[in-house]
Amino acid sequence: MSDPKAFDKILTDIIRQDKGIKKVILVDKTGLTIANVSKLSYYPVDVDSIGAIASAVFCASEEQGKNLQIGELEIVTSEFSEGKIFASACGKGVLCVVSEAEVNIGLIRLVMKKQGMQLADELDKFLAVEPMAPSKDRELDEEDLKSALAELERV
Amino acid sequence: MRKDDKGRIHLKLVFYGPSLGGKTTALRWLYGKVEGLQKGEFTAIEDETNRTLFFDYVPMSAGGRVLFDVFTVAGQKRHRHQRKVVLQGTDGILFVADSSPDQRDENTESFEELKLFLGDALGREIPIVVMLNKRDLPNRMSRDEMLDLLGLGGNVPIYETIAIQGVGVKRAFQAIAREVILKRMYK
Repeated sequence: MSDPKAFDKILTDIIRQDKGIKKVILVDKTGLTIANVSKLSYYPVDVDSIGAIASAVFCASEEQGKNLQIGELEIVTSEFSEGKIFASACGKGVLCVVSEAEVNIGLIRLVMKKQGMQLADELDKFLAVEPMAPSKDRELDEEDLKSALAELERV
Repeated sequence: MRKDDKGRIHLKLVFYGPSLGGKTTALRWLYGKVEGLQKGEFTAIEDETNRTLFFDYVPMSAGGRVLFDVFTVAGQKRHRHQRKVVLQGTDGILFVADSSPDQRDENTESFEELKLFLGDALGREIPIVVMLNKRDLPNRMSRDEMLDLLGLGGNVPIYETIAIQGVGVKRAFQAIAREVILKRMYK
């Protein structure tokens, strides 16, 4: 299994590239937020929700491109009056960058492309955890699932 | 089943079914009325009339390190591609069928579409629980008629529900959550 801290390191590298970048989120294509970093420790956003939307918007655009037969989707840019959201492919995931309105778009695209390849490799390792999970991890998962099952009955 | 960077297990549940069948109503009821569940924020991508355009989403947990990422889909026919996107990586399906007789075809079409999207995995790797919703309608279809309509045998858990009042909704949710967990434990 890949070390989850590897994600934080790459995301932190990205956030340091431009002072206008406020948040970097890595999501998978099912909408699950895998990791995220913020420039400010207090940045009151619902990361899970942002991740779910970012993934869905990216995947919907991918589907649109497939229907129109216009090739692979590389990046989705959403421009707002006070900020921008970039989402790009990184293997089995989607890399999402939230920035201020005034940022170096070229630099961000380049960084997302470069780091996206590294993230794609880490994600492959991370998502491959299930079939090769050590038995101790499996036991822990089973305990968590059993406990959730018990809690569920008490709801 | 997926894990986040904190090692917590995430299971994705999707409310699926025809337009205006009660998917969002059921999720909103769970969100607003069920106290034993810990919930994150309710996210809805909807139009001005509150019809779902893409999905609703709420992370929920019964406690501990297992989280349910609960989604609904947009039921209107034109949102087919959005539904396909939302279904990616789903661990369990709550199919919300509409008991109104004039929704016969819509129920069938929606269920056929679901089978098409998930293929053989539906009911095998991906458990399904069916909610026969709007059971308070005076002219509702009978349970047997609806099961025939959907081609369901005795191996799928069926719940008769009234989403607007919350009747049966919690039990249906518990059922799919339980099925999904058991599937993961004894895979």
